[in-house]
Amino acid sequence: MAKNTPPANARTGTRRPSSNRGGNNRSVFYGVLIAIVVLGVAAIFYLAKRPATTTADQDAAYEALQKNYANAGPPQPHVLGNPNAPVTIEEFADFECPSCGRFATITEPDVRKNIINTGQAFYKYYDFPLPGHRNSQAASNAAACAEEQGKFWEMHDQLFGGQDQWGLSASETGQVTDDPKPIFEGFAKTIGLDVAKWDQCFDSHKYQSRIDANAAEGFRRHVNETPTFYINGKIAVGAQSYDDMQKLVDAAKADTVAKSSATSANQKATVPRTGVTDTTKH
Amino acid sequence: MRRMSIASLALMGIFLALYLTLYKLGYIGHLACGLGSCERVNTSVWATFMHLPVAAWGVGFYVVTFVVALWGTSAAWIERREPAIVLTFLTTVGLLFSAWLTYLEVYVIGAICRFCVGSALLVFLIWVLSLADLRAYPRPDGVAPRA
Repeated sequence: MAKNTPPANARTGTRRPSSNRGGNNRSVFYGVLIAIVVLGVAAIFYLAKRPATTTADQDAAYEALQKNYANAGPPQPHVLGNPNAPVTIEEFADFECPSCGRFATITEPDVRKNIINTGQAFYKYYDFPLPGHRNSQAASNAAACAEEQGKFWEMHDQLFGGQDQWGLSASETGQVTDDPKPIFEGFAKTIGLDVAKWDQCFDSHKYQSRIDANAAEGFRRHVNETPTFYINGKIAVGAQSYDDMQKLVDAAKADTVAKSSATSANQKATVPRTGVTDTTKH
Repeated sequence: MRRMSIASLALMGIFLALYLTLYKLGYIGHLACGLGSCERVNTSVWATFMHLPVAAWGVGFYVVTFVVALWGTSAAWIERREPAIVLTFLTTVGLLFSAWLTYLEVYVIGAICRFCVGSALLVFLIWVLSLADLRAYPRPDGVAPRA
């Protein structure tokens, strides 16, 4: 029936479908559009500002970590330099922490060149993955597996230098990715690791207890910010500038010298009189 | 009413795709993706098409669809078939592209982004409405619509 009775104005395609008629519909339509725009803008702002993890989540995670670390074994920091150096610098850091990244990329190269490589200080790096940094544990795992092949520090540099590829987002409200392994794998290739071996190690999580033990050491010392440094036991919180680090090392060295002088003086003071007598005799 | 619905859905799509584009461009650090793996999908190699984020193509698609649908609701065009033809063409292309992206998510990337699934559903709904709109208008040869 419809085929035999096309609308009068069918040639121009101007049939008026009932569904598109109506002035009342139009005002409702514009109202709906305005509502969508308002809700859309509000939703984007809300979602963009929403932190990845709430403070309560972080506190709960922190408490859980403390419990987990209660039975951790002795710490096994990653080390660099001469263990007999007069000064020991200990760093508690989180691979995902931006301040640690700034220290590692801006200051640490000079610290290594002028302080560690010259034998002034021995360096110890302790993993201290903070709750809320979801990829930090994985980064510590990647670095520990690189150490298995003797390239912890190379991986350390890649991880900190490439934080923008796998760590916190620019706004620091979340992670750039929730699957950092492919990026770490790229770092492993860049520094010339046996990637298959590294991959196997990464998946096995065989160094988790080491990471936990290093973090436990931080908890024992009440570290609550990264990076935190101990220079011969003296605490320095936050990313230090090179000059500050050199001053701290110099002060530690001076302190060591003063202590050893004092020790020598004490030893001399307790030398038996017979010894003194012998010397004067010669 | 159909074109109004299409315009409304396309406007929702603009915001959805805009959110993903802002993330891809680095203005939003974290995707609010409770389930699934939005970031894995949106940081994969498949999240860029012809040097532009796929989400930005989505913004473009929804904007064009919105404009055409809005144009189709104007007094001069509301009774005409042309907007329905353009909408059907546009949304068919959009649907095919969306189907390809969904295939990549499931079989290649191995992760599901719920925002992408949401966008695919929107495109599907818009496509169904566009088809219905096309069928409601007669063809130029004078054959009346079946509906």
